[in-house]
Amino acid sequence: MISTTQLSDAIRAALSTVDDPEMPGVSIIELGLLESLEVGLDGKVRIGLIPTFSGCPALTAIANDVRMVVERIEAVSTVEVVFLTAPAWSVDRVTGAAEAQLRNGLGIAVERTGRATCPRCGTVTSEQSMFGPTRCRAVHRCQGCGEVVEVMR
Amino acid sequence: MTTIQEPSRGRQWGSADEFQAFIDDEGVVERDDAMPDAYRNEVFRFIELHANSELMGGLTERDWIPRAPGLRRKIAVLAKTQDEIGHAHLLYMVAADMGVKARTEMIDDLFAGRSRFHNVFHYPAVTWADQVAIAYLVDAAALISQQAVFKQCSYGPYKRILRRIIAEEGFHMRHGEEMLMTFAEGTPIQHAMFQEALDRWWLPALQLFGPDSTPDDELIRWRIKSEPNEVLRDRWVQKYAPLLVGYGFTIPDPDLHVDPVTHRWVIGPIDWSHLRAALANRGPDSARRIGDAARHWADTAWVRDALDLVDEPAA
Repeated sequence: MISTTQLSDAIRAALSTVDDPEMPGVSIIELGLLESLEVGLDGKVRIGLIPTFSGCPALTAIANDVRMVVERIEAVSTVEVVFLTAPAWSVDRVTGAAEAQLRNGLGIAVERTGRATCPRCGTVTSEQSMFGPTRCRAVHRCQGCGEVVEVMR
Repeated sequence: MTTIQEPSRGRQWGSADEFQAFIDDEGVVERDDAMPDAYRNEVFRFIELHANSELMGGLTERDWIPRAPGLRRKIAVLAKTQDEIGHAHLLYMVAADMGVKARTEMIDDLFAGRSRFHNVFHYPAVTWADQVAIAYLVDAAALISQQAVFKQCSYGPYKRILRRIIAEEGFHMRHGEEMLMTFAEGTPIQHAMFQEALDRWWLPALQLFGPDSTPDDELIRWRIKSEPNEVLRDRWVQKYAPLLVGYGFTIPDPDLHVDPVTHRWVIGPIDWSHLRAALANRGPDSARRIGDAARHWADTAWVRDALDLVDEPAA
């Protein structure tokens, strides 16, 4: 029989394989969505996630993906996924590894201390529109090379 | 006194042949490069068509926000609308940067019926099942086309935007597949409802790929398209014909059959007059859609004005 610590580690490892449905290669762990993980002695698991933005359309898909990978772990009996309303998500929760993947893999910059830099040339960007293709992204323009940049904020 | 020569920021090519050699060698053209006019104009037209289609597609989606069944579907439609309009926004920026037309000219041309958008947005979406058929079949066709462009696209700014558009369209596909399953596994009424939508949407979706490419297709030579239209169309047929038949639907093509030797799905002849009419803005729903889009644009002028004021506050 494995300990709850071992089981928690196994669950975290499984969760790190769940990517954001719209950002392949970036896991929900690295985006900072995991807020709480409760593991009971009977194998009952309760996972608390915080959405990047409330009303995010990917929540159902994320919850399904999470349940699928965690249910595969042998010692797990039930999985409950809940979306928490607090604390609020912010880009500060995005890890350095995820930031690098967003920049290099998808060309998305992450806003840090109120500013973002171009994934192509590193120059500071300026906001063109606060509304991008998703709620968590704005549209910027690089002040150096002129690249159209999406910024996670 | 010395004159300071403004350095040219972009690269230059001595001749069309040199430029072609650069493209053939998998070179990537950037915004400030002195690209040949023929390349600039053709690539611009392609991106403008894509931008217009995202905008018109987003507005189609928008029509269904209040009518989508249930909160979950409404959230999905709302998000897809934002995706499409956001894609249009990014693409119009990239297109305008090419210096052929300003963004306002592209918008004016679109609403005056002087430019083109994809054929599929020239037809009415009659019921919610039509929206599902669009999400399942049309989005899949668009994704196949975009993946083929992304594969070796020679225009850098477009390729980098496409990378993200493709990631998001992949997520739309998941929604489309889930919604299709609701109809496929639903009541006989739901099944019949999707069949009717399929009867309306099979051909427009098939025609999204366009007629067979000609051997002298410049977009292939310039590495914008990586594969001929007919290859992409066939890829879509091979995937979706068996899936739809497997779910018990009838594809509205009396000549559709599986080749006994190759085991591949073979479609009947295509009447391209529908595509030509749609692309000339003379499709069954063209006038209404363009009129609606123009009216929405006028109705939301105050939002753009207000946002401009935020950017340039009065002294």
